[in-house]
Order: sequence, then C-alpha cells, then structure tokens
Amino acid sequence: MARKARKYSEDVPFSLTSMMDMMTIILVFMIKNMDAEGQLLTQAENLILPISTSKVQPKEVSLTVVVDANYVIVDNEKVVPTADVLAQEDLLVTKVDEILKDRRAIEQEHALKMGLPADEAGHIIVQIDKNIPYDAMYKVMATCGFSGYTNIAFAVMEKNGGEE
Amino acid sequence: MAKQIKKPGKVEEPDLLPAMGLFTILIPMLLTMTSFSKLAIVEVNLPERSQMIMDNDVPPPPDEQALNLSLAIANNYLVIGARGGFQPNVYFKEMWTFRCKSDAQLVTYAMEDVKTTVESGHGPKCKDGSEMDKEKYLYEIETIELWAIQKESEEDPGKVIWAAYKNDGSAEEAHADSAYVDGANNFLSLPGEGVGGLQKPAALKAPTPGMAVATLQPNSARTLKPGDKTMVYPLSAYDLIAKDLIAIHTQFIDLDDVDNIIIVANDDTQFDKIIQLMDRAKEAGFSKINLAKLGG
Repeated sequence: MARKARKYSEDVPFSLTSMMDMMTIILVFMIKNMDAEGQLLTQAENLILPISTSKVQPKEVSLTVVVDANYVIVDNEKVVPTADVLAQEDLLVTKVDEILKDRRAIEQEHALKMGLPADEAGHIIVQIDKNIPYDAMYKVMATCGFSGYTNIAFAVMEKNGGEE
Repeated sequence: MAKQIKKPGKVEEPDLLPAMGLFTILIPMLLTMTSFSKLAIVEVNLPERSQMIMDNDVPPPPDEQALNLSLAIANNYLVIGARGGFQPNVYFKEMWTFRCKSDAQLVTYAMEDVKTTVESGHGPKCKDGSEMDKEKYLYEIETIELWAIQKESEEDPGKVIWAAYKNDGSAEEAHADSAYVDGANNFLSLPGEGVGGLQKPAALKAPTPGMAVATLQPNSARTLKPGDKTMVYPLSAYDLIAKDLIAIHTQFIDLDDVDNIIIVANDDTQFDKIIQLMDRAKEAGFSKINLAKLGG
C-alpha cells in the first residue's frame, strides 16, 4: 500500500520567537565580554604569551618589539633571526639598536614640537614567546635600554582570560 | 437575560521584526568590541648589566643595612639570597606538558626524559604514537610545572611533595590553582610514594566541605562549601618560594630596599619561568624587580 504523503499548509508563518531567544542569549554573552576601553595592545602572531596574574593595562600606545621562535620584530618589521641573537656573544643586538635609536629620535623630535619634555625615558612593550630562552630576552631588553627605551614592560596573557 | 460570553479573540504575536533588526546591528558591534583573552603588562626595571659603571667612576660603597634580596633559578633548584647569605635550596623536578598537533591530546614528561629522547634522535611521543618535531618541540610546550622535591642530601634524588590544591579546572581536565595552607600557614602536604614519590600519598586527602583552609593570599581563611572543588597535586616550587618571599617582605618591612628584588637566571631559562617568578615576587609585595644573569 502506498504511503500517504502528509499535507503541509503552504503559508506557514515564520516564527521569530525562537530566533529572538537565541539573539537575546548571544547579546547577553556579548555584553558580558565587552571591553569598553578598547585594546591598546594586540597580540602578535606566531607566539604564545605567558599567563600572568598581572592586571596592569598599558596606559598609552607604545612601540612594540616581538621576539618569537623565528625573528625579532620591531614595529611589524622582521629585523634579525632569533637564532642569531642567541648565537651572538655581545649583549647589544646591533640591528635592533639602530632601528630603536631612529624611532627614539623621531619620538623626541615629536615631543619637542608638542612642547613636551624630550629627555624622558621611552616606553616600550616587549612581546616574547613564553618558551624563548632568557638569553634572547635579556639581550633584547638590554638593547632597548641602550637605545633609550628604559621603561620596559612585558606583554602577558591575563590568568583566566581576565575574569575575576 | 443570560450574559453573552465573549469569545476570546485570536492572540496576535507582537511584531518582532524591528527588535530583530536592532539585534542584528548590536551583535556585530559587540562582537568587534569583545575580547576573549585579555592582555596585560608586567613592568620591569632594566637589567643590572646595562646600568654600566664607567672605568673611572668609583662604585658606591655597599650598604650594610640593605637587604639586597635576590631570587635565583638554576636548572633544578630555586634559592633566595640576602645580605651575602642564602636560604636552603628549593629543589624541583621540571615537567613539560605538550599539546600534540596530531591528536590535540596533552602529554606530560619530565624535562630530563624529553632531553634524553631528543638526544637519541627522536621527538617526544604523543598518545597516538606519533612523534613531535625534534627541532621545534621546545616551542610547543604548553605548560611548564616545577614540582617541589624533598631531598635528604645533595645526592638524594628526592621525592615529589604532594599538596592539597583548589581545583580550577573541570572534572575531565583538572587544574591546580592555589595551594591550601592550615592555620599555622603550613601547606597541607606529604612526600609522594613509590619511586621518586611520583605516586599520590594515600594518607593525603583533598580537603572536604566544612574544613577550614586558607591560601597564601592575605585574608583568605574560609570554610570550604559543598561546591568547592579540591584536589591533591604535586606542590609547586613557585608556591614554596612565594611563601618564603611573603615571610621575608613582612619581616624586613622597615628597610629602605624592602620592595627591591633581583631575579637571576641561566641563559636557557624559559621566559615563562621568569614571569612566574615575577608574579610571585609582586604578590609578595616586591614592586621593584630587576633582572640579572647567573654568572653575568
């Protein structure tokens, strides 16, 4: 016996109620996770930052140096391979130092034009992969100091995603 | 005359389309403003060696009253030094946890076992039998744990110390968060059983609801509630050092340099370990952190 096909009404109204429920849940979730202050610091690619209990947020946009497994990157520009930094004996990473000194000179010039004190120490944020050896980190940090960037901060990932 | 009963009219659904339009605008806007992992910064003072003294400069005389606190991390121990002396070494066993790319499973090995495997020409093994890249495995470490070791002598391989912890993870993937201490500020801990103390001691039980416990944080004493998750896990050497740092900061609070600490490390110490030590130092009250090299 042939099975009887069920008949459907042709004008079924589209129910928005379930869609509204879904949207409300998403909206509440989004509001909970919203960061109204915005991000002054974004994580570089190809590296994992260490997790820390620190909750200190950067107060201004600063020059960023990134040290990942492959390169030392200054302001999104690959400067020197990390392996070369590890291999060198000297504390000063010359190529990084040259770029940082140029940037520092520009910053000081800009400060003078704005009528701000130009001799204040420069601010720099260093993003380092959590598995990078201390030797590379120490050399990059010392180079920042030599170039006039003595206010150094390390970027870290807040523990539990920053949740209280 | 009988009252005519009103027939209920057809219930009309409210017009949800305008609300839907609003939601469609709000959700993408909030999505752009959402941060799922939040970044922060840790401020640090310059390395000691970069603050060079010129040849003709006379170095300042050493301050006899200064604390001169340093925290050194070597290959298998942590040690606190002050005023030319050192506290007993806090020995640890370094454990590396990798998340394999092949099966997304976590595998944990002792650091020396990984190094032996790599020296024999292989990469660390995953649960599915595949091997990690032996050239890049160092950058695939997900977590580094320093399990505190109890040693009787320098030659003694020692036993892993186990302690009661707050479980911050799920039932499937437990995660030790803060170590519990008793009223006398001692960790609820015991040395492990078996070779190297790698087995959980049977006598040590995870704290149960109703027990009064505290963590190293100030004013953290409380009674455990039924929902609180606890676990027994190897005691972290970071926690042992944190306890000593808190005690030192409290004891020498009147000194001028009580907020200063120098963290000293080997060339091959991973950056993650430096950050963990900096965190513990900051939490203990040391706000001015310097970094220096061992033998540098």
